[in-house]
Amino acid sequence: MSTLSNLSMTRRQFLGTAAAGAGVFVLGISLPGCAKVDEQGEGVINAFIGIDENGVVTFQNPFIEMGQGTYTSIPAIMAEELDADMAMLKVVQAPHGPEYRIMFNNTTRFTGGSFSVRSSYMTMRKAGATARAMLIEAAAGTWRVPPGECTTEPGVVIHRESGKKMTYGELAPLAAKLDIPADVPLKDDASFRLIGKPIKRTDNRVKATGEAEFGIDIKADGLLYAAVKQSPVFGGSVQSYDQDAVLKMPGVVAVEEIPNGVAVIADQYWRAKKALEQLPVTFDEGDNADFSSKSYLEKLKAALNESGVRVENVGDADKALSEAAKTIEAVYHAPFLAHQTMEPMNCTALVTKDHCKVWAPNQGADFVAKVAAEITGLKLDAIEVITPFLGGGFGRRFIMDYTAQAVTLAKKLPGKPIKVIWTREEDTQHDHYRPMTAAKYRAGFDAQGNPLAIQITTAGEGPSGRLNPEFLKDPTIDESIFEGGPHQPYAIPNKRAELVNVTVKPVPIGYWRSVGNSQNAFFKESFIDEMAHAAGADPVEFRRNLLTEQPRFKKVLDTAAGMANWKSEAWKDENGIKHAMGVALHESFGSIVAQVAEVAVDDGDIRVVRVWCAVDCGFAVNPAIVKMQMESGIVYGLSAAWSEEITLEKGRVTQSNFHDYPILRPDQMPAVDVEIINSGEPLGGIGEPGTPPIAPAVCNALFKLTGQRVRSLPLSKYTF
Amino acid sequence: MTTLMINGKQYELDAEDDMPLLWAIRDIAGLTGTKFGCGIGMCGACSIHLDGELVRSCMMPFGAAKDKAITTIEGLASEEGLHPLQQAWIDKDVSQCGYCQPGQIMAAAALLRENPNPSEDEIRTKMTNYCRCGTYLQIFEAVKQAAQLQGEQS
Repeated sequence: MSTLSNLSMTRRQFLGTAAAGAGVFVLGISLPGCAKVDEQGEGVINAFIGIDENGVVTFQNPFIEMGQGTYTSIPAIMAEELDADMAMLKVVQAPHGPEYRIMFNNTTRFTGGSFSVRSSYMTMRKAGATARAMLIEAAAGTWRVPPGECTTEPGVVIHRESGKKMTYGELAPLAAKLDIPADVPLKDDASFRLIGKPIKRTDNRVKATGEAEFGIDIKADGLLYAAVKQSPVFGGSVQSYDQDAVLKMPGVVAVEEIPNGVAVIADQYWRAKKALEQLPVTFDEGDNADFSSKSYLEKLKAALNESGVRVENVGDADKALSEAAKTIEAVYHAPFLAHQTMEPMNCTALVTKDHCKVWAPNQGADFVAKVAAEITGLKLDAIEVITPFLGGGFGRRFIMDYTAQAVTLAKKLPGKPIKVIWTREEDTQHDHYRPMTAAKYRAGFDAQGNPLAIQITTAGEGPSGRLNPEFLKDPTIDESIFEGGPHQPYAIPNKRAELVNVTVKPVPIGYWRSVGNSQNAFFKESFIDEMAHAAGADPVEFRRNLLTEQPRFKKVLDTAAGMANWKSEAWKDENGIKHAMGVALHESFGSIVAQVAEVAVDDGDIRVVRVWCAVDCGFAVNPAIVKMQMESGIVYGLSAAWSEEITLEKGRVTQSNFHDYPILRPDQMPAVDVEIINSGEPLGGIGEPGTPPIAPAVCNALFKLTGQRVRSLPLSKYTF
Repeated sequence: MTTLMINGKQYELDAEDDMPLLWAIRDIAGLTGTKFGCGIGMCGACSIHLDGELVRSCMMPFGAAKDKAITTIEGLASEEGLHPLQQAWIDKDVSQCGYCQPGQIMAAAALLRENPNPSEDEIRTKMTNYCRCGTYLQIFEAVKQAAQLQGEQS
């Protein structure tokens, strides 16, 4: 299965990144289905595991760590089959290149879409199992016994009869010379020591001591710093600037243009920033200086009355609505949102004649390499990508704008490493935003209050169509703007959904945590609540009755309702403050999540008291991380629902920092209870599915409390 | 050149007086555990101790820190080992992305010095640092554990 040439290439890359010592054993394995590719000489070879003479297992993680736990869950899957303890592992970030494109039939690699664990689970198990088989074979060969007489304990191969032992570290150089076996059997699930267990995070110590290195912390000899100012109007460009005004300021090295702005480079970041503030610069605002989010919203609302591209059609919704005893209609909208990673955008690059090194917090090392190769004109194998820890990603770091800036500047000053750091203001005003979206929902009921039909029109522009049009099967149907609205499990006999594409250019849009689900779950689950109210039914009971054919959804809903001890009516606490519960149920990224939110309103102030969350992600590979990610997703969604909104006037973003783009504070944090349902269904994602249900759960509780139906966000615009 | 005392060690730093202390600590002294988050003193990622007082170093001019003792996350542990808060942070697996956590720990250390046994309500209102990953509940738990550990040790 292996090919030597590819293995040696793999080994070189491995050693380069792992800084492993001599005698390191590098495992390269071909994945099933790749043999043909190998024969063509474009081998897709994975190289995940290296073992040095001390038995330290260096694990090349193809997925980046941005908080979601990949530096724990992914190596644990491999270590389960290798029979290694977590303490034996050194987790490093794999370089760019085809060897690590293990997603979607070995065609790509990125970290996002809640894909890491579910897309690599079997690959990682096979990688570990294959390495273990080779270590056993090496030991058996040394002892001249059949491999079947040998077994392992963590880090050690043992010959059962004689009790002879050799460590993985001793065996690694011998194992590296063996052919790579095919179809090594995997462990029985019942014997798992690590998979399915709440394994502690591998990164928790360095993150508590300050040693964890983020992109913004990168050190390099002769490092220079760049502060950047980008065109405040999207699509604008630099018209003129007067570099002579700042070149004599302390520490200033150069003033250079970047694709949509200008940069000052200095020996210290503060000096670069200060000089940039004093640099006279004029921008050509281009054609978009009249764009406003308010007028775009009007455009979206008007589009809801047009007919669009049909994206769902079951039965005859028009007929059912015209014959219905009762119909309801509601229009919802959701604002642009920024990602606001705690670590602002930054990137460091060093370009020489034949090499380019990029230190980039990123969600796809191949994307970094591609951008660097395009800018420098170097070949991909001359690009070295270092991916440190990410101070948050949430979809922002798929976009390579900040990387392109660093490489552009480094190319202009060859031989000098340059670190670009955005201020929070640049970060807020030059994000790639969750797109503003509007939707109209209609439903019809029979005389008994049974739902007959649901009709959905969504208007907006999705990030996939803008950024990755090649992913769309039909260029007119971009799911990333309406996903989570149509195609729901509720048994409603007639369903129709349409999409009206309304471009939001020039505003940069991107993937925000849970993508289209974040706004469409709010629309859909709020409307299901409106339907329950119209039918005079309890919101949990109403949903249950529509899920009789969907036992998995029903169980998740029932679990959350049970955890919360669901209360249909509002109540007053001992201080006379009114409380109520709201519920929402949503599937995204292969996982089903139900949340019940208890909300109190006291003299107009909202308090989210507690959230009960049930999740069915098939099987929890690390239940502790699943729980944390549910909490994290809830906070991210709640923060947005509560107070986050990006608006644009005169083509530019109004907000600039946390004072006018407030994110959830500690004193606003609700208690959270999470229960995991291991249904045995295929693995689902966990990084995002916690986000979509929280906004509708909270808003549905607010309706019960105040009678006011929230049909747009954030809540901070409302008075209760 | 200006001398600063950071974590009990002298640093000779070449910086203008108006430079925020944050950048002097990070870029010149090379102690990158203290993070840049917002630059306006809101998020708390840059939290340090100045003569034992909690300050947001992005708002503190370098010139105002002369002759004062600075403690950063790198100086929180002692020769005996990690600070009880750092140990609690590890035990409770608090960190997700981890970027805000040095600032959170510095803020918690100041809180416990002032109030060795805070209630959850006090922790919720006194800890004002932002965490975008939403680790707040783990932070509250870790502060309580560290308070208990410190109580047992003293």
